[in-house]
Amino acid sequence: MNACTTDPGSVIPELLESGSAIFSMSSQRERDRARSDNAADPDTARAGGSVQEAAAPAITVEGLRKQFGDGADAVTAVDDISFRVEPGSVVGLLGPNGAGKTTTIKCLLGMIVPDAGSVSVAGVDVLANPRAAYRHVDAMLEGARNDYWRLTVRENLRYFATIGGVKPDDVAGRHDTLLNQLDLAAEADTAVRDLSRGMKQKVSLASVLATDADVVFLDEPTLGLDVESSLTLRRELRRIVDERGLTALVTSHDMDVIEDVCDRVIIVNDGRVVADDAVDSLLGGLDAQGIRVASPDLEGAPLRAVRDQFEVREVRHQGDHTSIEVTTGSDGFYELVALLRAHDVTVSSVDTIESDLESAFLEVTRE
Amino acid sequence: MTDSVDDKTGSNGTSDRRADGGRQAASEAGRRPADEGTGGRDDGPRSAGLVDLTLAVLKREYLIFVRYPADAVGGIVVSLLFFALLFYGGRAFAGQALTDSIEGLVVGYFLWTLSVGAYSSVANDIGSEVQWGTLERHFMTPFGFAPVAFAKGVAKVVRSFLLSGITLAAMLVITDTTLQVPVVTVVVVAGLSILSVLGLGFAAGGLSVLYKRIGSWLGLLQFGFPVLVAAPAFELGWTRFLPLAQGSSLLQRAMVEGTRVWEFPPAELATLVGVAVVYVAGGYAVFHYTTRRARRLGVLGDY
Repeated sequence: MNACTTDPGSVIPELLESGSAIFSMSSQRERDRARSDNAADPDTARAGGSVQEAAAPAITVEGLRKQFGDGADAVTAVDDISFRVEPGSVVGLLGPNGAGKTTTIKCLLGMIVPDAGSVSVAGVDVLANPRAAYRHVDAMLEGARNDYWRLTVRENLRYFATIGGVKPDDVAGRHDTLLNQLDLAAEADTAVRDLSRGMKQKVSLASVLATDADVVFLDEPTLGLDVESSLTLRRELRRIVDERGLTALVTSHDMDVIEDVCDRVIIVNDGRVVADDAVDSLLGGLDAQGIRVASPDLEGAPLRAVRDQFEVREVRHQGDHTSIEVTTGSDGFYELVALLRAHDVTVSSVDTIESDLESAFLEVTRE
Repeated sequence: MTDSVDDKTGSNGTSDRRADGGRQAASEAGRRPADEGTGGRDDGPRSAGLVDLTLAVLKREYLIFVRYPADAVGGIVVSLLFFALLFYGGRAFAGQALTDSIEGLVVGYFLWTLSVGAYSSVANDIGSEVQWGTLERHFMTPFGFAPVAFAKGVAKVVRSFLLSGITLAAMLVITDTTLQVPVVTVVVVAGLSILSVLGLGFAAGGLSVLYKRIGSWLGLLQFGFPVLVAAPAFELGWTRFLPLAQGSSLLQRAMVEGTRVWEFPPAELATLVGVAVVYVAGGYAVFHYTTRRARRLGVLGDY
């Protein structure tokens, strides 16, 4: 849950005066989200358009299984995973550490041979016919440099375009566009080793997008980036994906990245798919908005009164303070404040709690 | 393993991209605008061929060579220092005996530097590519890994020829010796000789993909090369079927006696070619097996 904390003190009168300001904080995310959606082409950004529904799946995974080791030491990394990804959509693959995300992606790329199941990309069976499948695929894998640091940015794009099976001269214009979009144009002729961490990450992404692949796998594309670089990268990534009609499967531990970039999220846990839904649906399925109030007076009668009148999710005692989490919206907020005032409760802090992907993720993986 | 698929598809990796159903579906969905770089062509970029691939790999090698010459120069200097030690030390101890066989020593040393350069660059390159995450991208290519690996091997051989050529010239100056250098014969014989070493390099690279951190042990193999290079000094016998031995024998005759490639007995040339083919194929088979095993174990990109 995200929490926006106000300054402690006698906040009730101020809150009564400007109560709506608290809720404006939660709506900030919605505005950000709206901006993010507008930045992408709405016609193509959110999967489910009639044109896309008509096309064959870009990625089809059926009954994928992979076990490492034998006997008592055996670990089942992927256990009967199946899903489809429609062309032109961006799907997030989430899961806790060891959930099977990387194994799944590497199976999809043919880097790991699964024990059972089938994988096809753009209608081509990756395991039976990888060369044909690789015409459609490129990937940026976690922790990998993914390119040659001794070559310049442009040389990398040209090299990997060729390795990806296209004549580099024929995609030179695309490379220029990419360099501009990722703010790399000024460094096009600089050796990658001389660039900052964030720029190197952008070059990695650019070299993956430099080929003619129409399905890209991005494992932690913003790993190690500062906030500003991460925001820029995810914005441009979404824009490029939309402009070129690419299909992307993205993993990230940063839920904001997934929420900003993806149309749909597949959550895996213990090698199984535990949720597969549109981002908006996952967010909509969460508990309603709430408020967290902390006070040294929240016990006995005041606490009972709150419990009688509101749905209290959680009560936590920390030192001489009690913190309660109440499910309510803006209308209930005023009632809660009035109730607390009626019981002479001095509030030390008030937080709004809003639904986000992280909450959805935690809720799903705890089940 | 990508190459296992090569057999199944029978494709050379350069066939029409539009032949794939998935791409067709994508096109039908109207998702693929004409490439910006093609001036509005609606048929997309042209497929790269094996020539494009080889040129790209060679160009990468060339750019790194000219942009970072310190590695290459350092290698030449170390190599020459070692040779100088061998030459002056040997002359101090063996005197006339060494002077009489100096031509053979120079030719042998030339072949040794050539083979060490090719072997270590291929074996180390694979390990480096694993660390950089670029090896996986070379697997995920529509060409299949075999042509890519071969193109990279060719690039390493060309680089080794350049460096060893410089080393050879310096050795001739140091020893005040004259050798014949029939370019075609030297390139063909030395090239085929080090192809067998290239095969060993592929095998070593494959083993390092599977077992990691064994690079230094595999590096010891190159210290066996002088024995193979020196084999012709004794009775060749069955050793002619080992890497370098037959090539060393023919190279000595070419550079010391001036024998041209077409003047060698066909059986001897056939042995040279056969050994090269068998070791390259064997090395690649080991690489193929170890990488396939690494894919089964899920350790292909680990380091």
